[in-house]
Amino acid sequence: MKGIRPSRWGGQLLHARPGSATIPRRNFLASTVRCQSTVQAPAEDLIDQIPEEGETLPRKLPSPLPERALQSAKLAALHSRLSLSKKIPLQALARALVTPSADPNSSFNNANLAFLGSTIINYHVAEYITCKWPRLPMAIHYEALRAYSGPESLAQISRRWGVEAAAAPGEEVDPGLLQWTSNPSALVGTRWGGYVRAETDRKHSFYRRGISSRVILDNDFGDAVDAGSVTHQHHQDTSFSSFVQAVVGAIYSHSGREAAKDFVESHILSRQVDLSSLFHFQLPTRELAMLCAREGFEPPLARLESETGRHSRTPVYVVGIYSGKEKLGEGNAPSLDFARRKACMNALKSWYLYSPGNKVRVPSDMMEEGAKPWKAPHIDIGEVI
Amino acid sequence: MDVRALSRPATQLLKTTTRQPLLLPLTTSRGHKTTARTKRSLKIAPHDSFLPNRSQPFPAADQIIYNPPASEASPEHTPFIFLPPNDPRREAIQRMRLSSPEALGSVAGASAVGNDEDLPPAMSYPRRRAQYNLTEDDMAEMRRLRNEDPLTWSTAALARKFKCSPIIVSIAAPAPDQHKKWLKEKEERRRERWGPIKTQAREDRGRRAEMLYRGEI
Repeated sequence: MKGIRPSRWGGQLLHARPGSATIPRRNFLASTVRCQSTVQAPAEDLIDQIPEEGETLPRKLPSPLPERALQSAKLAALHSRLSLSKKIPLQALARALVTPSADPNSSFNNANLAFLGSTIINYHVAEYITCKWPRLPMAIHYEALRAYSGPESLAQISRRWGVEAAAAPGEEVDPGLLQWTSNPSALVGTRWGGYVRAETDRKHSFYRRGISSRVILDNDFGDAVDAGSVTHQHHQDTSFSSFVQAVVGAIYSHSGREAAKDFVESHILSRQVDLSSLFHFQLPTRELAMLCAREGFEPPLARLESETGRHSRTPVYVVGIYSGKEKLGEGNAPSLDFARRKACMNALKSWYLYSPGNKVRVPSDMMEEGAKPWKAPHIDIGEVI
Repeated sequence: MDVRALSRPATQLLKTTTRQPLLLPLTTSRGHKTTARTKRSLKIAPHDSFLPNRSQPFPAADQIIYNPPASEASPEHTPFIFLPPNDPRREAIQRMRLSSPEALGSVAGASAVGNDEDLPPAMSYPRRRAQYNLTEDDMAEMRRLRNEDPLTWSTAALARKFKCSPIIVSIAAPAPDQHKKWLKEKEERRRERWGPIKTQAREDRGRRAEMLYRGEI
């Protein structure tokens, strides 16, 4: 399982390379000018990068004050539209809408909640994918993970929830609007996980970026952690997705693990992904022969099942791939060679997309009270080529 | 005039019979000159599987007509031998095969009954047939010949001599770098002679293969 690696957290903080997981340090000498709630006493170590003008409140804060959340109709509507529990206050929802690009103060933005939420989302999605499709190759696993919980998908989810962005973040805007800017200098602290590779500094890197190094070095979706080249679209998607992650984080911290899991299942895992369209084969015939040799099946043999119009302009051949007497796959194409390769690809897809059923048990089901004893699921030994 | 018009088809008919035996029935190939006639001639009865069951009298019980169109098998249907040993579907298919062997022939993933003759004809294409007939000395001899004269002892010639596949030769006795470079230059010279149409056709072929591997066609 890739999503969560508790052993990596410690190491990540110890050897943080420049550009990766840079969390803004708190300035212990600075004092705060606003507080998170009316009950809480202003703590010493909360900072704001706002120039203080004597003892008076500065004219403009980077994001709306938390107490204004109670007056916002948009926030109340969003809260009830998501059917959130009463335990989750409107202030938490308002904080989930403030991204670090709008407000760099981590006591008022959603960075912490989003990090918590992203680990929960990625954990549940990863365990679901692993148990539901136990033979997926790692590259397809990453893409499936991205399709469920990548920034683009989460941004789409948050838009379907009806989240709108403020034209420009600031103190005066409605707290029910997402606060973000595409200012590249405000991107610090919005990424976590993974390491910046040593070879990124070199111009012509000839290092092979294999799948094992992607598992170890790169982020949760197998993408290289690169400090530069962030497009406006990507930044927008990251900002919108951080809201979804922060909502999950808020649910986890206010309502607990079960509620967060239910929320992830009903909003993220309920979406449909066609995994068979993610495959891109290189040598399907060879891969299938290797698979049959590995599993001890008879070598595959293509058989012509039916054909029509061999001498016409548009012939159709239907080719089946057999291992002994067992049929592995079938493909049709206008040429014999294409039909054979297509049949091999279909056979390989049916191998990789094996699923034990629609109702798979995942490890986190064992945390429920009175759960049945755990039965180990079938997990494949690995990729073929 | 009249006699000629009548006699021409008859003579043509005789000619064809003398040249080759007439296998097809004598049907006219003339088109239907009006829309109504064409439509009437093309009207054929639907297949039995589309028709409701008329064996019972009129107020028959409700019936479901299940006749899906021909379509590709979904990769989500795992073939029998791809099922892991602890999957319950494996036992179920085995039980079905034992109980009704002939009923399963067309069910996806549940074939593999009957003899070899029942299977469709095998296609002929180059595929791996491991022989393991080469010894260490053969390999050394192969390498020596290749280094001596790579032009005469090409991959195909060595494969023919040692009765193995060209792939084994290319792995065991690769050509010297100089020869590889010469071959590459020769191929480039050949490609330079291609005109725009052939170049485009080759590019399109590669693009089609890429699309096939991505599952787009």
